[in-house]
Amino acid sequence: MSEERVISHSDIEKAINSVKAIKDGPRALQLYMDICAKCGTCAEQCHVSKANPNRRTNPAAQSDLIRKLYKQDGSILTKISGLLNGNNKSLSADDLQTWVRDFYECSGCRRCALYCPFGIDNSVITRKGRAIVHALGLSPKMMVQTQETSDKFGNDEGQTYKSFMNAVEFLESELEEEHGIPIKIPVDQEADILFVPASADLISFPETQMGSATFFHAAGLNWTMSSKAFDGANFGLFTGDDAHMKRKNKVLHDACLELKVKKLVIGECGHAYRIAKRIGGPFYWGNDIPYEVTNIFILAAEKLRKGAFKLDPGRNAEPVTYHDPCNFARSTGVIEEPRALLRACVTDFREMTPNRENNWCCGGGGGLAVMDGKEGVKKNEVTFMEYRMNVGGKMKLNQIKETGAKYVAAPCANCKRQIMQLMDYHKMDVKVGGVFDLFDKAVILDK
Amino acid sequence: MTVIKLVVGGILPYITLVVFLWGIIYKIRKWNKAAQGKMTLYPTPSTPGGKWRKIIKEILIFQSLFKGNRALWGGTWIFHASLALIFIGHFRVVTDFPILWRALGMGKDDVDTFSATVGGIAGLIILVMGIYLLFRRMVIQRVKEISDGEDYFTLGLILAIIISGDIMRFITHFDLVQSREYFAALVTFSRVSVPADPAFLVHFFLGQLLIIYIPFSKFLHIPGAFYSKSIIYQE
Repeated sequence: MSEERVISHSDIEKAINSVKAIKDGPRALQLYMDICAKCGTCAEQCHVSKANPNRRTNPAAQSDLIRKLYKQDGSILTKISGLLNGNNKSLSADDLQTWVRDFYECSGCRRCALYCPFGIDNSVITRKGRAIVHALGLSPKMMVQTQETSDKFGNDEGQTYKSFMNAVEFLESELEEEHGIPIKIPVDQEADILFVPASADLISFPETQMGSATFFHAAGLNWTMSSKAFDGANFGLFTGDDAHMKRKNKVLHDACLELKVKKLVIGECGHAYRIAKRIGGPFYWGNDIPYEVTNIFILAAEKLRKGAFKLDPGRNAEPVTYHDPCNFARSTGVIEEPRALLRACVTDFREMTPNRENNWCCGGGGGLAVMDGKEGVKKNEVTFMEYRMNVGGKMKLNQIKETGAKYVAAPCANCKRQIMQLMDYHKMDVKVGGVFDLFDKAVILDK
Repeated sequence: MTVIKLVVGGILPYITLVVFLWGIIYKIRKWNKAAQGKMTLYPTPSTPGGKWRKIIKEILIFQSLFKGNRALWGGTWIFHASLALIFIGHFRVVTDFPILWRALGMGKDDVDTFSATVGGIAGLIILVMGIYLLFRRMVIQRVKEISDGEDYFTLGLILAIIISGDIMRFITHFDLVQSREYFAALVTFSRVSVPADPAFLVHFFLGQLLIIYIPFSKFLHIPGAFYSKSIIYQE
């Protein structure tokens, strides 16, 4: 799409108008236009900028793509400062074409905000840039297709009721084979808990899904999945498409009401939890919604403390490290819970350096993990796949190498895919999976 | 000279005051009115008290920057701390505080010596740190590549103010009695006699330019830091 699309004058005008509209936009965006002192700290703390230091990858420079346009408001003062800045250049068709690349090379991991002396969160500007290209129909193909599939099927993988039920049946038989007892994955039943993973877990990472089911079983929880709402992933966060984000969250909301659950429990998917907890839930549907939004790690850590299940860490003897997904650590504060669980499930747990909220992005955040092709190629001739393997994932690769771990637990479908490809591409003999994959092996069930 | 004195000392201060107040109130009202969803950055304190303690810590010791860029933190913290001292010291330029000195048991000479020592040292340190900030902007590639005219203009303006201030302190030995009389006349809308020291005129002119420039430039990071930190520390 974006390769063939010719940018018209009206596209440019629309883009400029969206930038101008920031003046009546959210407070954060207004502030970020006003207060950046250009100190350069973000460039030292960005995984992209560290891996490939140049002006284009400098977060402050990237945000300036929008900031400089915003400051051209035609007043005398800005004209003078425009002269000072060499800032009177307007937006060209070429610029707009490359915006796709510019704003999709930032994964929106929010690490810069942690170190910025003013707490400027460049991901907010990135998302604004993405929203502008999205409104013009210039978003990368995979993003658009995923949203379309999701609107049609209620999940990003395009699964139907039948294929979902087949997957559930398959997973149940695998679980029985592994544990020697039947472990049910209840579907569409009224229960206390509605469990929603990323739909990718059902197909691409079945062990994570199986481990989650085993956990609910072992902890004796009354849970269900929904055949209509089994995908917490939500690309509206990545494309800047707020309407899509709300539509997709409504699928979960409706299922919670239909199945009369008390808790919506999100699985190993960071951005799904961020949206369900911090953006959707009570913020979309009001404070009096009858369910609470939480996460499988919070639930499992609590059950672990109470001794609700027995674990044998000896069954996971290889060295294991934990990757903090940005949307769990920095954006929702789920930091210690997965660690508590891992420590109980494995014998050799190793921290990456840095870790927790300081962790480097895997390079697959912000939806990047599903993009392989060449889009917005005007400035950068490599494909997104090459970019992710050599630039976006470089810091993560080095971090993993340093731990010497043989298993990376990454509780996020995007992080899993990115790190798996990263290990493969760089010929590392390291397995990548979820935290609940390890739980599934370690748990001792009553026969 | 008379015209310059009249413009810089007799007219501009009123314009500065009006433009600065209008600009800063306009900005802050705009920020206040703007809607903002939650975008907490974890880990963050869970109580409002904890949140404000964290913000105040950020404002006082630049905690994030300390973690993010140690060299810049050193330079800029010393820069801003000296600036804070100098800002406080400037109250004496406008008026004197005999009651305070008596309470502290300080005579006129003690106060002058104290002010000359602290103010003098701060004036030199801030000069060195200002030069450091300019130097890193010109030399460190990652900072250089994002710097433009505005960034050099603001730093140049600050340096010119520092240098003219230091000249008054160390070379022309500006007498504060003149400025106190002048400011007293200014606030009572009386006929002013503007101090004739050229260094004063330059310093005062550039200082006013800086104040006017605050609401329209990246100096907005002064009030803005409270707002932007408040957004991400919001539990």
